[in-house]
Amino acid sequence: MSMKTSDDHFNHRVSKELENTFMRGAVSSAQERFQTRRLKQADELGHWEEWRSHGEEIRKHVLANLDYYLYQLSENVSKRGGHVYFAQTAKEATDYIQSIAKKNKAAKIVKSKSMVTEEIDLNAALEELGCEVIETDLGEYILQVDDHEPPSHIVAPALHKNKEQIRDIFKEKQGYAKSEKPEEIALYVREKLRNEYLTADIGITGCNFAIAESGSITLVTNEGNADLVTALPKTQITVMGMERIVPTFEEMEVLVSLLTRSAVGQKLTSYITTLTGIKDEGDTDGPEEFHLVIVDNGHSNILGSEFQPILQCIRCAACVNACPVYRHVGGHSYGSIYSGPVGVVLSPLLGGYEDFKELPYASTLCGACTDACPVKIPLHQLIHRHRQVIVENEGKAPVSEKLLMKAFGLGASSPTLYKMATKMASPAMAPFTKNQKISNGPGPLKAWTEARDFPAPNKDNFRDWFKHRQKGGDE
Amino acid sequence: MMAGTIENRDVFLSKIANQLGRAPKTEMERPTWQYQPQDRVLKEATKDELVEVLVEQCKNIHTDIILTNTANLPVDLQKVIENYGGQSVITWKDERFMGFGLSSLMTEQWPQANIQLYEWDSEQPEENIRQAEKANIGITISEITLAESGTAVLFSSKDKGRSVSFLPENSIILIPKSTIVPRMTQAARLISEKVRTGEQIASCINFITGPSNSADIEMILIVGVHGPMKATYIVIEDQ
Amino acid sequence: MKVTLFATCLVDMFQGDVGKAVVEVLERLGCDLDFPENQICCGQPAYNSGYVKESKNAMRKMITAFEHAEYVVSPSGSCAYMFKEYPEVFKGDPVWEPKAQALANKTYEFTEFIVDVLKVEDVGAHLEGTATYHTSCHMTRLLGVTEAPFKLLNQVKGLQYVELPGKDRCCGFGGTFSVKMGNISGAMVNEKVQNVEETEANILIGADAGCLINIGGRINRQSKPIKVMHIAEVLNCR
Repeated sequence: MSMKTSDDHFNHRVSKELENTFMRGAVSSAQERFQTRRLKQADELGHWEEWRSHGEEIRKHVLANLDYYLYQLSENVSKRGGHVYFAQTAKEATDYIQSIAKKNKAAKIVKSKSMVTEEIDLNAALEELGCEVIETDLGEYILQVDDHEPPSHIVAPALHKNKEQIRDIFKEKQGYAKSEKPEEIALYVREKLRNEYLTADIGITGCNFAIAESGSITLVTNEGNADLVTALPKTQITVMGMERIVPTFEEMEVLVSLLTRSAVGQKLTSYITTLTGIKDEGDTDGPEEFHLVIVDNGHSNILGSEFQPILQCIRCAACVNACPVYRHVGGHSYGSIYSGPVGVVLSPLLGGYEDFKELPYASTLCGACTDACPVKIPLHQLIHRHRQVIVENEGKAPVSEKLLMKAFGLGASSPTLYKMATKMASPAMAPFTKNQKISNGPGPLKAWTEARDFPAPNKDNFRDWFKHRQKGGDE
Repeated sequence: MMAGTIENRDVFLSKIANQLGRAPKTEMERPTWQYQPQDRVLKEATKDELVEVLVEQCKNIHTDIILTNTANLPVDLQKVIENYGGQSVITWKDERFMGFGLSSLMTEQWPQANIQLYEWDSEQPEENIRQAEKANIGITISEITLAESGTAVLFSSKDKGRSVSFLPENSIILIPKSTIVPRMTQAARLISEKVRTGEQIASCINFITGPSNSADIEMILIVGVHGPMKATYIVIEDQ
Repeated sequence: MKVTLFATCLVDMFQGDVGKAVVEVLERLGCDLDFPENQICCGQPAYNSGYVKESKNAMRKMITAFEHAEYVVSPSGSCAYMFKEYPEVFKGDPVWEPKAQALANKTYEFTEFIVDVLKVEDVGAHLEGTATYHTSCHMTRLLGVTEAPFKLLNQVKGLQYVELPGKDRCCGFGGTFSVKMGNISGAMVNEKVQNVEETEANILIGADAGCLINIGGRINRQSKPIKVMHIAEVLNCR
């Protein structure tokens, strides 16, 4: 899958998704719920701005010293019997993981949710070998069974599906015979996956936060699936985005506190687990073999650039939940595994401007995302920066727009030109004007007037009124 | 323990240092932070106040909670066992059970009531998992308990299998009152201190808050997904 | 008090009445107003779309036009905010950065100016009706003016206020976004108007021409009996 989730063009994706009334209703109510809970928790915790500032300073510090912390992490993982593989590219990562699977003659692999494994297309690489890869996060499992449909939200991947659709997916693909009641579906999945955990050869996880001081990885879930994935199979592979690391347990708990409140409005999720190396001597559950695969995949190119703040991200999706655009177009419109504001910033950086040049314009720069971010990433500013890059460096802006903006540049710098243009505006728009309104505008105005009226330009500008007034003229 | 391998580190870290405009670092001072908001939370609370906070929080996390002492523990525990349908129980191998006065309950009463008890056995790897999988109830003991979030912290070891808190359908966690602290901050500092003094921390540390759940289907909360479906905390007055 | 008016291009071309109301309210409060003829546009349309070079000439024009001013007041939070961005745009320029900073330091949004500088909350306005208020994004989140409009509206005699559900949510204007992504913008403004209707207010008040033209345009299209007023017009009612 890598970053791109669709071959369809942006405009087409958006038109299609705007018609999906279920999705829009589901996303709006999910946003309300997530937002309300996040704000309630922030309020209850108190001093939220200080928490955000602390989260920001931790993430900034780690990024500025990332090589050191990764060095410390790898030393400590190794001391606890774990193997560390540094993978600069997606292929290096998947090749390595394939080799582990082959060495272990793995037939069945259980997996907990991980965005970085989607970045590197891990499941496809393992399936190529003939391994059965089973997603254990309920939302991811639903999408996997539904012919690998891409996720539409970082935290709640199957948000766009209603319970009837979910029941039908299991009915068609697996012969599920019960109702659409969520408890019944969950019970069905629980029973089905139990056996998979017990018979899997390898467990693969992502990593919410690696802890450098001890060589530990932290997994945050509500379902308990990551714990079963790591307690039962003999081999554990953890795949980690290179910047997902903290210095010590102390910073881990601060970021977890921010994550769980910002993502799902909980003080802590049901299961937060730190795993360190292979199982201890004498343990009878836990992995005998542990591999930590640290993935770059273009993330390091963002370091040292003006986009570096996006690497502060702790993948809470608070920005997604606050975004008024995402609210209407949903995750699939973005055509990327990362949607919403974080997706708008990351996708061109990791996936290139060619595939994602429309995304930075799918924003009103309203700043709701920046406000919501628990680690103070200036998201709307980064989105704006992308626009600059697209116009200046990438030369990917439409020619007609470039010309318009050049004209704007001229007109807005010359009072004479401006006066001429505005004097012409009213008569020029006369054919389109009725009752002081324009209902079917020409050119760019057409897109506006699809949904609303546009006011006709004043016959006399405000400035003329002011001037005449000063001269003692009529009001 | 044999050290694990590390591959491709140098070129990877050099790239990072390069992007940051400097040479790679392998030494660093521990950072000092400008903000420490976590210190404030429940700072002034007494142990009893923390218990109240814990009781209140349990209402939010679908967890039953019982306050008791060693004298009444056997009776109170038995009530929960019966409430969960008895049948089979799996526990850690832990002498604290005896210390809490549970020997008679576990070794005499349960066999009489046809409640099967299995104790985690480091010599029996397959049997452990088999028993954990089919057990109705798992009983563990919290090492540190976080009042603010209603969380029990469990450390794994050869006698304290990870699976005991995960596989059975019902989970009972015994919480000695002395283990209760305000929030995760205190637990994190304790563990970090262990790391700094060179103590080997458990390969698995679980911060468990109530039973498992998910809201992945239409944002409707379902309690009991992959982990336990029900959870009870029993706070034991031990001071 | 000498106050220099930064009317904004939208007010100048499409909402002259708003400009008039601003003038009348400020004069009534004792301000001596001037309007520099050389002002055209703060540069937002080009700047926000990523055309920074093209917007710089317009910006330099504005900096020069307002150089003489003591206080620069604008009936638009987003345009006032744009002036606050100028120092960053001209960062490193030894001539224009200090000038931009000087302008940024003396620029105020209209309600902010009345409450924080003139220290007035009751301007003696009287308007009968039930009103709701849309908080414009740039004015609240970026410029940080959150209290002033409410303090002023609170003192308007006869006006009943009902809170707008989702009042902080973007109306979908976003400048060129409204034409570039017209269908998404349409969906957003449609929800905004639904929210306005839920309040059963007969007046919608806002403090930014862009938002009001957007929401008003949708209200008109749907022929809803809701009057759209800029806060300056409300404060000018006696």
